Amino acid sequence: MAISTATKAATDALAANPAPVSVGAQEVHRWMQSFTWDFDKNRTKYSTKYKMANDTKEQFKLIAKEYARMESVKDERQFGSLQDVLTRVDAANRVHPKWNESMKVISNFLEVGEYNAIAATGMLWDSATAPEQKNGYLGQVLDEIRHTNQCAYINYYFAKQGQDAAGHNDARRTRAIGPLWKGMKRVFSDGFISGDAVECSINLQLVGEACFTNPLIVAVTEWASANGDEMTPTVFLSIETDELRHMANGYQTVVSIANDEAASKYLNTDLNNAFWTQQKYFTPVLGMMFEYGSHFKVEPWVKTWNRWVYEDWGGIWIGRLGKYGVESPRSLRDAKKDAYWAHHDLFLIAYALWPTGFFRLSLPTQEEADWYEANYPGWYDMYGKVYDEWRARGCEDPSSGFLPIQWFIENNHPIYIDRVSQVPFCPSYCKGESTLRVLEYNGKKHSFSDQWGERMWLSEPERYECQNIFEQYEGRELSEVIAEGFGLRSDGKTLISQPHTKKDGKLWTLDDIKRINCVFSDPLKAL
Amino acid sequence: MTIEVNGGRRGLTDPEIAAVIMAAVPDKPLETQRKMNYFMKPRGKRINEYEVLCCYSQPTPDWIPGGLDWGDWTQKFHGGRPSWSNESTEMRSSDWLAHRDPAFRWHALYVKDKAEEWRYTDRFLKAYSADGHVRSIDPVWRDEVLGDYLGAFGFYEYGLFNSHSSVVRDCLGDTLRMSSAMIGLDKVDNAQMIQAERTFLSKLVPGFPESTDIPKQEWTKGAIFKGARELVQDIWQATYDWNEILFSGHMICDPIFGQFVRREFFMRLSSYYGDNLTPFFINQMQLYFSQTKGITTDMFHTCLGADVEFGDYNNRLMRAWANKWLPRTVNALKDFMAIYATIPEIKGVSDKAAIEAALVRVFADWKRDFADPINYKVDTAALVKTVLSGLK
Repeated sequence: MAISTATKAATDALAANPAPVSVGAQEVHRWMQSFTWDFDKNRTKYSTKYKMANDTKEQFKLIAKEYARMESVKDERQFGSLQDVLTRVDAANRVHPKWNESMKVISNFLEVGEYNAIAATGMLWDSATAPEQKNGYLGQVLDEIRHTNQCAYINYYFAKQGQDAAGHNDARRTRAIGPLWKGMKRVFSDGFISGDAVECSINLQLVGEACFTNPLIVAVTEWASANGDEMTPTVFLSIETDELRHMANGYQTVVSIANDEAASKYLNTDLNNAFWTQQKYFTPVLGMMFEYGSHFKVEPWVKTWNRWVYEDWGGIWIGRLGKYGVESPRSLRDAKKDAYWAHHDLFLIAYALWPTGFFRLSLPTQEEADWYEANYPGWYDMYGKVYDEWRARGCEDPSSGFLPIQWFIENNHPIYIDRVSQVPFCPSYCKGESTLRVLEYNGKKHSFSDQWGERMWLSEPERYECQNIFEQYEGRELSEVIAEGFGLRSDGKTLISQPHTKKDGKLWTLDDIKRINCVFSDPLKAL
Repeated sequence: MTIEVNGGRRGLTDPEIAAVIMAAVPDKPLETQRKMNYFMKPRGKRINEYEVLCCYSQPTPDWIPGGLDWGDWTQKFHGGRPSWSNESTEMRSSDWLAHRDPAFRWHALYVKDKAEEWRYTDRFLKAYSADGHVRSIDPVWRDEVLGDYLGAFGFYEYGLFNSHSSVVRDCLGDTLRMSSAMIGLDKVDNAQMIQAERTFLSKLVPGFPESTDIPKQEWTKGAIFKGARELVQDIWQATYDWNEILFSGHMICDPIFGQFVRREFFMRLSSYYGDNLTPFFINQMQLYFSQTKGITTDMFHTCLGADVEFGDYNNRLMRAWANKWLPRTVNALKDFMAIYATIPEIKGVSDKAAIEAALVRVFADWKRDFADPINYKVDTAALVKTVLSGLK
């Protein structure tokens, strides 16, 4: 069309219809796929054995400004609730103390996962070739920043308004002391960002987000609410609205490699490794936080696990990917066994090491013990009687001179760290599936608790050689470690962590710990 | 009462549950220090909300300067390469977590601004279209410059956007990572705004091509953007040092080439050709440029260039990078000069003297804001002369 004719046509069009016109997000997005171009150097900086297709689409077709509009609306609702009505009703001081402590861990550890997911999705944005697929990952990059800030906001809120700020106010500095930290880093940090880009996507999106965010971010809101906490549902359910996009990204990752020959060779092995990696930590830790970190219980963890992980994810979600050759992980059956007892085993160890935490733990009360026994028959004979013994020896009382870790030593029940998952286990006193396996490599001994982690180690030991806490602290006295790791309250002497949440209970100080003269040793050296 | 509750009973509102909870809550708070991150050093007098929510969220060990964690990585890349490492950049820092966005924008503040810009864009476009402004745009400017060359410039913005992906993966600080993602999103927003303008014009002007085919042809095969395309490709995919990516993109390329094309070409000239639509979009891009400049100058000047231990070394490295990237940027601008032969000349606006004045402005700004702070010696008159040699 000639130029002058075009101007005339525009004039005529306006005369015929002067209605206001704008541009919608979808009208822009439909050109996204054409935004890139071919050039010699155009290849990812992060190698992958898979080939992602050039024409992969995204399911959430957003442009930058529409993304911002959508998120901003959600923020207004969320922060409005937090800063207005929940503050006016003093909600942070109406939370059960046990749950207040759990949120020190849950919120901060989830923050670490969200933070590392920023980098993980940055890597996927780089690895994808299709602009729409890049755009999907980009949206997730921004979401993960949002979630990092949101998780932080929970700790910030509880610190500012709640009943015990210690741990909420400095979790980022003190979290590294204890036995739960390294395992969390494996699943929530390095597992997302270090490896084949598609393998990382499987860890993050296909397993971490599609499988474990349901119990972690959705189920947790029921437990929070039952225990008086309305801040966590307000924030976490807002986070979950973004997780749908992330699950879609994971789905599209699989779609993008479906026709690649490498997928038929490696995909199910990578999925199995990712599932075992994630479940090895989340299954016991989430169960422990829910059941032992609350007063009011919603349902036994094993039921929650079975519904979200086994049926919803292992059956329905993975079933949908069956047409792309994806199968339910072979390790799912072993994981199902862990879902029954592993969190009870872990709490026994976590409580024994309570001084290294940044939160207060509580022994089960009689009514809780009854609930455990009713839902996990055999619980008392294995765990309940030990807690009774610890209580009788004064484990909650600073003047008792008794730390539960002494019980493990006295009874010759060494605690090891699984090298691949970094999760502690006690093979001589557990009801879960853990069994001790020891291998030597690079002049050091390495312990493992299951065949799946051992297989990962045997394939690529150089990826998992991380030092564990017993090697790190070996020969050091416990109070020194606590002080060095900033495990003290603002008075400079009282521990952040405590073995009870009783309102009238005495609080342990650094001197109480020092008197016991507990020195770390590496159990592998005794083998 | 039983401790198992179901049916959605809430501890805050259920009287029976609430009574049990309140009986367990301490009579007074157990801890008096209520400020999260109280241990950190704030940029200003007090720790602000941005610093509370962002700083030290990164779990890096203390051998990456600034980190609070200890030990090794729990999982590494195949072959044993670490998750994050000091070797990922030639820059050195005594604290990789020191950077602050000068606007202290955490996610909620960032998206709030952009959401407002989107709503205003929608309102503006409706008013613009109903008012019939499109009739006054010079046809050559509209169909060739906006249709082809503005569209081609969208690929420049898209390419620079993609250069942020590996920065977001590899960089060593939390606030750096968040800032890098945000300035990356601003770049793809620029590319999308350009396409939005072209789509909008296609709705108002029958026959105006909405397709990206011709702009892509211009970007990939044409002479006007040849230097820019090669420059962007090298920043995006041929550069592995994440600091060098940010430095080349935001301290050299965009403050010179991007500024000239956006501010001195499209924005300054558009009104002379009856186009008051393009400045609306370019102004948003210039806002993003300004915010990005605040971020990257904080990274490179306030933090790295002034680092007590490594400042001298870092400034020397930045000067070496400037030596590498400045000639390519000048060459890109020289190629771009050919665009003036495609538009009707307006005396005092698009003639050689006006172009030279525009170049002088851009290079003077760059020298003041980017070169002088790292003590980089540059003959801007010679650079202007080189660029002008590209005029047809």
